[in-house]
Amino acid sequence: MATTWNSTLAKRRNRRDFLKKSTGAVALAAFGIARKAFAAEPVNIGGLYPVTGSFAQIGQGCVNAAKLAVQMVNEAGGIKSLGGAPLNLIVSDVQSDTTVTRTETDRLINAYKLSAIHGCFASALTLIASEVAERAKMPLLTGSSSDQLNKNRRYTFTPFSRASQFAEAQLQMSRLVSDSPKVAVIFENTAFGTSTSNGLREQASGQGVEVVMFEPYSAGLTDASPLINKVRASGANMLFPVSYLNDLILIIRAIKQNGLEIAINGGSGGFVIPDFYKNVGSVGEGLLGVAHWNHDVNADALKVNENYKKQYGEFLFEYAGGLVAQTFMIADALERAASTDPQKVRDALSTLDVSSGYAAMGPGGKVKFGPNGKNIYAHPVGVQWQHGDLATVFPKEDARAPLLKT
Amino acid sequence: MRRFVSQGGFWVGALAVIAVALPLLVSSTFAIDIFIRILLFAFIGVAWNLMGGYAKQLSLGHAAYFGLGAYTSTILLIRYGVSPWIGMLAGGIVAMLASLPIGALCFRLRGPYFAIATIATAQVLMLLFLKFRDFAWGAEGTTMPNLGDAPLMMQFDSKAPYYYVVLVLLAVGLAITYWIERSWMGYYLVAVGEDEDAAEAIGVDALRIKRNIYLISAFLTALAGTFYVQYIYFIDPNTAFSFNVSVEAALVSIVGGIGTLWGPVIGTVLLEGTSALLQSWLGGGHGGVQLTVYSLILIAVILYRPAGLIGILTAAYDRVIAGTKRANKSAAP
Amino acid sequence: MLTTIAQAVVNGLLIGGIYALVSIGVTLIFGVVKIVNFAQGEFVMIGMYISFFLATSFGIDPLIALVISMLALFFIGVLLQHFLIRRVLALGDMPQIFLTFALSLLLVNIALLLFTANYRTVQTAYSETAIHVGAINVPLAKLIAFAVAMLLSGLLWMFLHGTDLGKAMRAASQNRDVAMLMGINPDRVYCVAVGVALALAGAAGSLLMPFYPAYPLVGQNFVLMAFVAVVLGTLGNITGALIASLMMGVAESLGIQFVGADSGLIVVFGMLLLTLALRPNGLFGGWSR
Repeated sequence: MATTWNSTLAKRRNRRDFLKKSTGAVALAAFGIARKAFAAEPVNIGGLYPVTGSFAQIGQGCVNAAKLAVQMVNEAGGIKSLGGAPLNLIVSDVQSDTTVTRTETDRLINAYKLSAIHGCFASALTLIASEVAERAKMPLLTGSSSDQLNKNRRYTFTPFSRASQFAEAQLQMSRLVSDSPKVAVIFENTAFGTSTSNGLREQASGQGVEVVMFEPYSAGLTDASPLINKVRASGANMLFPVSYLNDLILIIRAIKQNGLEIAINGGSGGFVIPDFYKNVGSVGEGLLGVAHWNHDVNADALKVNENYKKQYGEFLFEYAGGLVAQTFMIADALERAASTDPQKVRDALSTLDVSSGYAAMGPGGKVKFGPNGKNIYAHPVGVQWQHGDLATVFPKEDARAPLLKT
Repeated sequence: MRRFVSQGGFWVGALAVIAVALPLLVSSTFAIDIFIRILLFAFIGVAWNLMGGYAKQLSLGHAAYFGLGAYTSTILLIRYGVSPWIGMLAGGIVAMLASLPIGALCFRLRGPYFAIATIATAQVLMLLFLKFRDFAWGAEGTTMPNLGDAPLMMQFDSKAPYYYVVLVLLAVGLAITYWIERSWMGYYLVAVGEDEDAAEAIGVDALRIKRNIYLISAFLTALAGTFYVQYIYFIDPNTAFSFNVSVEAALVSIVGGIGTLWGPVIGTVLLEGTSALLQSWLGGGHGGVQLTVYSLILIAVILYRPAGLIGILTAAYDRVIAGTKRANKSAAP
Repeated sequence: MLTTIAQAVVNGLLIGGIYALVSIGVTLIFGVVKIVNFAQGEFVMIGMYISFFLATSFGIDPLIALVISMLALFFIGVLLQHFLIRRVLALGDMPQIFLTFALSLLLVNIALLLFTANYRTVQTAYSETAIHVGAINVPLAKLIAFAVAMLLSGLLWMFLHGTDLGKAMRAASQNRDVAMLMGINPDRVYCVAVGVALALAGAAGSLLMPFYPAYPLVGQNFVLMAFVAVVLGTLGNITGALIASLMMGVAESLGIQFVGADSGLIVVFGMLLLTLALRPNGLFGGWSR
């Protein structure tokens, strides 16, 4: 009994001490808060990316870029029409899984007072997030290329080029390398692979390109040699692999191992990230690809790239750079809407019309959305690995470096 | 009153009342989403449990029926405008038909052979649906047409109706399990599960029993498939025939208590609940933390409570009953 | 055409060697310990990471790192058996399968936490070279992997049939109770079995490193094929697993060539289901059950 009493006393004493010490701290904080009383409540935006699972590597890079972008917006003064309100990024890992994407998109929208969301890199995941966002009337920005994202939606905005546009660019670039391109298209059996390759097949003849092989393959190759064997047998002089990174590494290396002399346009996806070069090494030198954003597109892009490189040690890759621009587009919309209400933000996005600043740092330098959420100025650029870095080489208006002949 | 409390029926009734009232009491749509997932995977677990728990046919390929149900109703909906309610039943029938040849092949196999063969069938279906694009949209999959609030087409604009639909499905699954448990079929099932050869020796037609239970299990799993794709508004082969679905179906039953009525429900509450909590605490962009914790929990459960959590609950329940019995005794003069 | 077929067969055999290393490990564990190890692919992954770090930090070639990764994984295997597997042995099929399944999930995500999802490759002098036999291309790194895989399989066979410990393992796998009566300590035998199986996985990892990138999920690409090979070759039958693996490698390669690039797996699964329909216990019927 005595011990209980003593401990109660002790607790009371400790409480008093604690109160004394903390009152000082509270007072200080209150003063600080009072000073900031004019500062507005932060504006919540959501970022949905696959930080684990098969897209983990790119997902993590996207999250890094998303945080950097928000930092940049806030350092520039936040949303002035909302009293300098800072952006608050709420990230969720969608685990490269469709179910989790469904749940997480829902959770973010309902658990937080969001004004907009962006995500999810992989078209398969973004399609789901977009459905949920559409029904929840929450605006979603994405760089995912699937053309399906522009069908029957009012809340999804795609500021960058579409899969069909990638295809067109790739085909045009093949004419740079050969006068009579005979192309083998191999693509992985995913939403990304099928939508991009469909575009290639549909537009090939129109661009004067002959498709001699058109084969989906099961993603997650244990060995690319059988595929390459088939490519060789097809007599193609150019290869368009549409793939994420792991298979791409195997394909490129298998081409070398099997001594196949063939021009390659690696498309987008896994081809345009730093890890690609890190993993294939000099074999990747001179390889061509396409991207919806590149870090040498204009001065703003170069600046962001410097920032990112300082923090993370590698260049800012396609999707990540694009989403920095998307963050600024959201900021611009918030600025004009002067409200955190998602409906007003959506309306402000639909009337977005920028041609300068970070929001416009994409190929073409202008963003304006059409009725189906497509940016009417969006077009892809052709890129080439030069000295371990990715340089924009096509089309002429966007080229920042000459095309290296290999 | 105390004697009433000790009746199992009271608890089931109380549970039912809570279950029905839940969406009205909880306002967070995220919470309702978790409940829906719990009910859905409990239902899938119950369907699996008929085969895996009672008849001990440990299938790891139930996603085959899940996917067949999902695709049947989606194809009927998008290509022919048929309501998913009907599509759901049609999917169930397709699944039953599919279970016949699959069963014919797999039932001759024992143990791990059976398991791998079932995995293979689900994978083959996934690969086929990936390959044949014109028929069923291939790898890109498709989203459900946005019909707004269309109860007749299994689309609702709020979560609560989905909750009730899957609650009814689970209730049906549990009722079927309960009924089978107490029927002649149940006895034969357990006999076949315990020792198939011995059962055959005393005249049980093991093959027929297995086939019949497989029909029911496949049918129910297919219903779950339809519900699922209607709920997430999307279908593609990887989601519909996902190995994770197959695994989860078996896992919740094992963790909760294989071969018991409530096992799958308890297992789902633990697993899905934990997963949801971990995701909202830790799932904010630190790669791998929540799944690491989740798998550690899984391992702990398997090591320390292999009979399933139902063991803990049964023990707790028994203690409560013993307590009330003692109270009754001491109350009497 | 003939060249194409021959090249396809060669490709299939070479990758089949890797499948063999993984599947022999699985079948060994199943044969002796009677448990299906769903996490085998993750031990390959660990072997890959060990080789990667040895290569990048100390410049050790993966083929030499092979010895180290095999030893490390043998040790891990003994620990795994002694502390984890032993406790679920009496529980029955499903808890055992799920233990290894949960272990697989755990290992993948720990790897993700420790190493991030970035792909790691090792460039060796022979990573991109190939030998030319007539018109057939034989990538050197894969040929070495195949040769070492066959060598290790041969050594394993000799161990099981020539040494006392090996014979004790076979005895324990055929009939554990009688083996105990004969004085064989089952736990010791199991530890060795799991250790050896994981060492083989580690070897596979090191052999893959010159031509395959390492990342947390890498094991999952090989595990499915390995399991099909194990079942096809009859569970517990090591020679069966070897032959089945090679067959499957070739079937996959020919399937890709002649049916469709996305049909490799369909062909393999088709082979599996067809075989099981005709021979429910795999190609080699009964050795251990």
